[in-house]
Amino acid sequence: MIGYYFRLAIASFRRTPGLTALMVAAIAVGIGVCVMAMTIYHSMSSNPIWWKNDQLYSVTLDNWSPNEPADKKRPSLPPPQLTFRDAEAILRSDIPKHTVIMYKSAGIVSGEGPRGPIAPINTRTRVTTGDFFPMFDVPFLYGGGWDRRADMGPEPVMVVSAELNRKLFGGIDSVGRTVRWNDREFRIVGVMDDWNPMPKFYDVNNDPFEETEHVFVPWSWGKTLNLLSYGNTNCWKPDDFSSFETFLNSECVWVQGWVELPDPATRERMQSFLDTYVANERRAGRFERPNNNRLTDVAQWLKDQEVVESDNRVLVGLSFAFLTVCLINTVGLLLAKFLNAASISGVRRALGASRRDLFVQHMVEVGVVAAVGALAGLGLGALGLKGFRQLYEYTQTGVLNRAGGLQALAHIDGTSVSIAIALAVVATFAAGIYPAWRIGRIHPGTYLKNQ
Amino acid sequence: MSVPFRPIMSALLRNRTGAFLVAFQISIALAVLVNAVYIVKQRVDRIGRPTGMDVENIFVVSSSGFAQDFHYPTSVEEDLDYFRRTPGIVAATAVNGVPLSGGGSSTVLNVTPQAPKVLDTYNYFDVDENGAKALGLNVIAGRWFTKEEIAPAPEELRDTFQPNIIMTKALADKLFPNGDALGKTVYDFQQRPAVIVGIVERMLGSWIRQDDSGLVFYQPRKPYGPNVRYIVRTEPGQRDTMMSKVEKDMAEYNRKRAIDSVRPLTDIMNRTYLADRNMGIFLVTTTALLLAITSLGIFGLATFNVSTRTKQIGTRRAVGARRGDIVRYFLVENWMISTAGVVLGCILALAAGYWLSLEYEFPRVDLYYLILGVLALWGIGIAAAWQPARRAASISPAIATRNI
Repeated sequence: MIGYYFRLAIASFRRTPGLTALMVAAIAVGIGVCVMAMTIYHSMSSNPIWWKNDQLYSVTLDNWSPNEPADKKRPSLPPPQLTFRDAEAILRSDIPKHTVIMYKSAGIVSGEGPRGPIAPINTRTRVTTGDFFPMFDVPFLYGGGWDRRADMGPEPVMVVSAELNRKLFGGIDSVGRTVRWNDREFRIVGVMDDWNPMPKFYDVNNDPFEETEHVFVPWSWGKTLNLLSYGNTNCWKPDDFSSFETFLNSECVWVQGWVELPDPATRERMQSFLDTYVANERRAGRFERPNNNRLTDVAQWLKDQEVVESDNRVLVGLSFAFLTVCLINTVGLLLAKFLNAASISGVRRALGASRRDLFVQHMVEVGVVAAVGALAGLGLGALGLKGFRQLYEYTQTGVLNRAGGLQALAHIDGTSVSIAIALAVVATFAAGIYPAWRIGRIHPGTYLKNQ
Repeated sequence: MSVPFRPIMSALLRNRTGAFLVAFQISIALAVLVNAVYIVKQRVDRIGRPTGMDVENIFVVSSSGFAQDFHYPTSVEEDLDYFRRTPGIVAATAVNGVPLSGGGSSTVLNVTPQAPKVLDTYNYFDVDENGAKALGLNVIAGRWFTKEEIAPAPEELRDTFQPNIIMTKALADKLFPNGDALGKTVYDFQQRPAVIVGIVERMLGSWIRQDDSGLVFYQPRKPYGPNVRYIVRTEPGQRDTMMSKVEKDMAEYNRKRAIDSVRPLTDIMNRTYLADRNMGIFLVTTTALLLAITSLGIFGLATFNVSTRTKQIGTRRAVGARRGDIVRYFLVENWMISTAGVVLGCILALAAGYWLSLEYEFPRVDLYYLILGVLALWGIGIAAAWQPARRAASISPAIATRNI
């Protein structure tokens, strides 16, 4: 029976090819726009390290001015970054399994490449404790990270990205080789595999859709080489900024702090460690605001820091309004199409087809339109995402920095494909139910009279 | 000439599903159109603001000293001297941040020596005596900095406030609403004073995605190193040739630093506005598609109505209705559907506008846009129904006699 209905559907499409094409196009465009908006939204708001969500916590303390909050729009939040001195205090605690304190910087990579001396490249660098790698499950091609001793030394060791390794060494195992970084010899201890968490959850305040850094150096190099942050540095207090030394002691926030706490009990202990620390500092005249020491998991962190911009939410809203219009349009077109051919249905009813039969028959027709429309919609969505990538394309010469983080967002993944298919099926069937039901209600007599 | 509203209405109510669907489409289309146009207008205005600079002829050189024996203050002087000697370059200055780039520095300015409880910070630029010429600024009151005033490039981190500063008119008017800022004293976060010696007509600062990015002031000093940016302004039309020459020369005469990038200021500006531009493109494309689909829906319904009423039209024509009457009938019917949609659409548009005003923290959509949107959708409705109505009018009265 279904086979027969399929043939009927095909015959019906042949009768009105223009109308059929219009319906398919309406569904396809609606689904395409939705797939595009959803894919981008989905990857922007996703949690790139969800499997450790109950273990990784961002550490924030409210050291801001007693007169105003760090962010006037969200007064309940402490500043998103830490002062250098508070970061180092957290590093001294042995409660967390891992502790990462770090900031974004840059350094000049120079020296000998495989084909002679390489032109000095300004390379994005993260100054971090070695716990970064095990804590964030960073994948390695060769070697690995460094230990706490290297952090404190600081030892001249570094981890490089797969891309920098390709550029400098043609992609071979370069562990043990040396690279000149800021005119100092550094020994490569690890080569990362390609790793670009999107959003860049570990530092969302300095461009959440930027690529991962290409060089990682131990924490204490920052102090040794007077490296300022290349991200945001925010201050509120008229401190003494006359030297790097005094700057490190200021109330300026610029360091990101993360801890890994494997279970709730450890989390409790860490929380009370922070509370005790802040209480002690308060006695020394710091921390004049109400106690607001936070351990925030990744999912909440991405929400608090408003990684997804208003524009993206608006686009998702718009795409759903768009899909709604496309579907209403389809309902109207289906209705017109079915009623136009009502005389045929009238004959079928007169010959003994039940209302149910007519309903099923027309739903088959709707199903074919939906399937073709959804498929075309997926194609359109993919094209749209390609266009999206193009819109964000720009190049920066000389810098090892494709900076195309937003481009990486725009790929169709399994989730968006299944969302699209589900959307198409549900939407079109919803659109088809009324016309298919309506056609079953017609009175056969009216149409038979007219033949 | 009277329009037969009542019979049209009762015919509509008899066949309301199609009409209802089209009205609903029109309402969503109106809501989207009004709000999309409002957002796009704001973005276009933002991108189109005058920058106050000679953006077209400026490029930015970023240099990072890295060698252990790199001496930053000497290097800055050497570079500025190179720019001075190179024909084709009008002027150049070292800066602590690049205007229009989305990144920069800000610090506190007060009008009284007593620090208020809540501190307002403003975007500032370290510039030298060639700053106004290099940026292409228009000094409208007072003067620009002299060579003697400029604090030299520091070897170490530095914490100074120069005794003379210059600011944009926008900032001057904000701090001194009476318009008498020139010669007044302002204070930094440590209550150190500075006299306003000049006022610049306008300049957009670092954070151009914000509306208050024209609040800018200038300090007469060379920025902290060892990474430094130079604003270089060339003779008109020579920017691109000068860029490649400068990049080559600078990398050659000092190998203790890296030339990170040499980029036109227009590129930097476009990059910063990328998100606004793209949002505009998305909104315009989607709204245009939405309107196209809605007019298809209107067209489809009108065509369907005409084709199912062929006999009735023939009858009306046979008993004396003129072509004009038939066209008017369908246009009025369509207009009634559009109007129902538009009324519902106004409610949807205001609701969507309210949600957007929460998202973006900007004033709710102007009623002016709503009126224009209503007119636009009425127009679209009539245009979409025009062809089917004409076709209805061309139905011959003979049809009626033939089929009955």
